[in-house]
Amino acid sequence: MNDHFSEHEELLLRSWDAPVSARERETLAGVMQNNPALRQQSDQYQKIRTMLLRTEPDSFGPFFAERIMNMIKHRTQEIDYLIFFFFKKYQVVLLGVLVALLVSNMLLTDQLTVKGILGVEQDTTESIFSIDVYENLTK
Amino acid sequence: MEQSGDEELIEKSKAGEMAAFKMLVTRHEGQVAGVIRSLLGSTPEAEDVGQEVFIRFYDSLKKFRGESKLSTYLVRIAINLSLNELKKRKRMNSRYTSIDAAEGIKGIEDTLDLKEHLQYAFETLDPEFRAVATLRLVEGYSTEETAGILEIPIGTALSRLARAQQKLRLSLTKKLRP
Repeated sequence: MNDHFSEHEELLLRSWDAPVSARERETLAGVMQNNPALRQQSDQYQKIRTMLLRTEPDSFGPFFAERIMNMIKHRTQEIDYLIFFFFKKYQVVLLGVLVALLVSNMLLTDQLTVKGILGVEQDTTESIFSIDVYENLTK
Repeated sequence: MEQSGDEELIEKSKAGEMAAFKMLVTRHEGQVAGVIRSLLGSTPEAEDVGQEVFIRFYDSLKKFRGESKLSTYLVRIAINLSLNELKKRKRMNSRYTSIDAAEGIKGIEDTLDLKEHLQYAFETLDPEFRAVATLRLVEGYSTEETAGILEIPIGTALSRLARAQQKLRLSLTKKLRP
């Protein structure tokens, strides 16, 4: 199989896919007139190009867009399910961690109040007094 | 909605309007299918790749800035995914194709008509030649557009195109004789 292009064969192909100069066009026309082999090649190339060119729009078959939309919908549902599944699987562990945090808060604050357990800062006399002083100063 | 431009549909899709996204899929399915099926043939993987193209587009919708035309963007994804699929296929074939099978293919080749023969020759082109030929010769993109989609210089696109055509012609020489 001869894989090498003749100079004119290359020019012939290029003339269909890119602009060629007036001189090149003239050369090509001259060669085509006197070279039956190149004329035959040109016909063969034209035939190949005609056969290859798509004349009708292609398709993946009916309801392709619907299939895509279903895939997107199911994928979103799958992600939701994965998040739900994660929490379901580790619910005991998560609950344990939560209880441990609440107990540690209770022990650290040494108060048996809801605020103490939740770790919410308690109002102290100092803090109330300091606010009052500030309010008096601004009046 | 059918009258809306791509930009408008993209904005609506970004806002979560699924009907707008569906319209984009319907509008660009043909182009994407053409490119993928030219590269992979009418195989079940072709539709899988087609689905992957639109799913990837959906996932990157928020990042899509419209710097290139949507059709160009989708065709680029289609080409890249198809080339990946071809590589995968090549690896599989090199593992499993025996000499006997290759002989069998040769036998089948003799019974094909011109169009089938051309299709067969097209599918045996190297992927980089096939990609250029698909865009320019099958889908009818200009050489500049082809080079742009594949992100290669125009000179490279032209030489690959010429090489692909020569290979096709040489492979079909007997059949093309008047």
